[in-house]
Amino acid sequence: MAAPIIELKDLAKTFSVHGRTLTVFENLSCRIEAGSFVSIVGPSGCGKSTLLKLMCGLDSPSAGTVLFQNRPVGGPARGMICVFQHYTRSILPWRDVMGNVAFGLNAAKKSLPPRQARDKCLQYIRLVGLEGYERYHPYQLSGGMQQRVCIARALICEPAVLLMDEPFSAVDAMTRAVLQELILKIRTTVPVTILFVTHDVDEAVFLSSRVIALGPAPASIRDDVAIDLPQPRDQIATREDGRFIATRQRLFASIFLQEKREQARAAPPQA
Amino acid sequence: MIRRWPGFLLFVFILLAWECASAFNWVDQVSIPRVSAIAQAWAASVQDGRLLAALGSTLGRIICGFAVAALVAVPLGLAMGSFALVYRLIEPLTEFVRPIPAAAYIPVAILFLGIGDEMKVFVVALACLFPILLNTYGGVRGVDPVLIDTGRTFGVPRLQALRQIVLPAALPSILTGMRISLGIALIVAVVAEMIAGNSGIGYYILDMQRSFRIPDMFAGIFTLGLVGFIINFAFLKIEQHFLRWRGTSVET
Repeated sequence: MAAPIIELKDLAKTFSVHGRTLTVFENLSCRIEAGSFVSIVGPSGCGKSTLLKLMCGLDSPSAGTVLFQNRPVGGPARGMICVFQHYTRSILPWRDVMGNVAFGLNAAKKSLPPRQARDKCLQYIRLVGLEGYERYHPYQLSGGMQQRVCIARALICEPAVLLMDEPFSAVDAMTRAVLQELILKIRTTVPVTILFVTHDVDEAVFLSSRVIALGPAPASIRDDVAIDLPQPRDQIATREDGRFIATRQRLFASIFLQEKREQARAAPPQA
Repeated sequence: MIRRWPGFLLFVFILLAWECASAFNWVDQVSIPRVSAIAQAWAASVQDGRLLAALGSTLGRIICGFAVAALVAVPLGLAMGSFALVYRLIEPLTEFVRPIPAAAYIPVAILFLGIGDEMKVFVVALACLFPILLNTYGGVRGVDPVLIDTGRTFGVPRLQALRQIVLPAALPSILTGMRISLGIALIVAVVAEMIAGNSGIGYYILDMQRSFRIPDMFAGIFTLGLVGFIINFAFLKIEQHFLRWRGTSVET
């Protein structure tokens, strides 16, 4: 087993709402190996986005620690970049595609000569398939293209870990399939660990090497499955593979069925 | 511009009606002179340079006052929006000072600064300050938290994020504040010139009225209307230029 790049130790997050303490999750522990593609699935409101924010240091845990490369995370961590669900709210609308990608490069404090910086930006714009759109502003791009810009802007920093918070949930199904292909292609060319939050179990199984399933709040790890589907993944063949179907059934069951049983226990049918 | 013809037509119609009303003595010709007489007076005063000189000194005061206000209000608004302590420090003071009409400061300003340009620039700056300050603050508070988190996840230091993320994101709001304050600046400058001093278009209008040169007085008033229109139009163009990344026209 490869060394863990991220390790969660007894992580807990609670919010105080109107004087009441709301537990999002507690006693969460797990290890993420370098180079893996780990998806975190769970029903909406289970705290998976919160978990992602804790991992990259955008938010701090109520208890427990996050270790990144064996060092505790205490603020936005260098080497980890988060790609957000709402790309329209994350992209810099006053900068064109080139400018947005250059923002990532500058943030990474890579002081390159202008010529080289330009070439590097172009290289990442090409990686996400936006060549020819360098001078377009976000309002001139479709949703999928805007999310590509955000991905290129993150990757140019050459992060060790790319965290994606439901990155494809705001685009239509067709665009989502295209972006899934893109992220699989990127994984073969860029050495990066990907943490991918989604509420779409199929998407998680299709993309990942490992899926962690969270239950409804207060969340705990309900299941942790290694996905041994063959590479490269294929939108048709992979989704028809028996192991794909078996894995998604297992995940659905562990997320939802347990919940249904609990509900049934809590409120027995009236005679 | 072409689509504005109904408005221009109404304008021409009103001027014609005015001309007739005055020419046929439906109204008092002395207090409401004919439009043609006003036009003649306007042409004459433009030619001998008096009107333009008066206008020039008014515009100079507006620009100076506005510039001072913008230079103070934008950084202060950014600080108030970004640092809770600055907000808590400044907010009660602004809420008390803001409702006082800027013209009410003129008597005080005369005591300290006399009746010259300093007083007028000061009063204009004070009047311009609050619309810019409050709109800058509002703009900063309105910046999307996702955009702030984007800066943080990329490890952009706070001051750099202020310049690279917060300032551009708040720019639409800041420019709106500036446009509002330019309108107020014109009002306050004219009032200050009417109260004290011997230059500027406000003084010019009052002086013409006192010496019964009523057509010249109206020429001054019309000039103000025209200048106000041009300032607003020019600033809208500036806004459109700076906000062309929004892909839509600026709200008027």
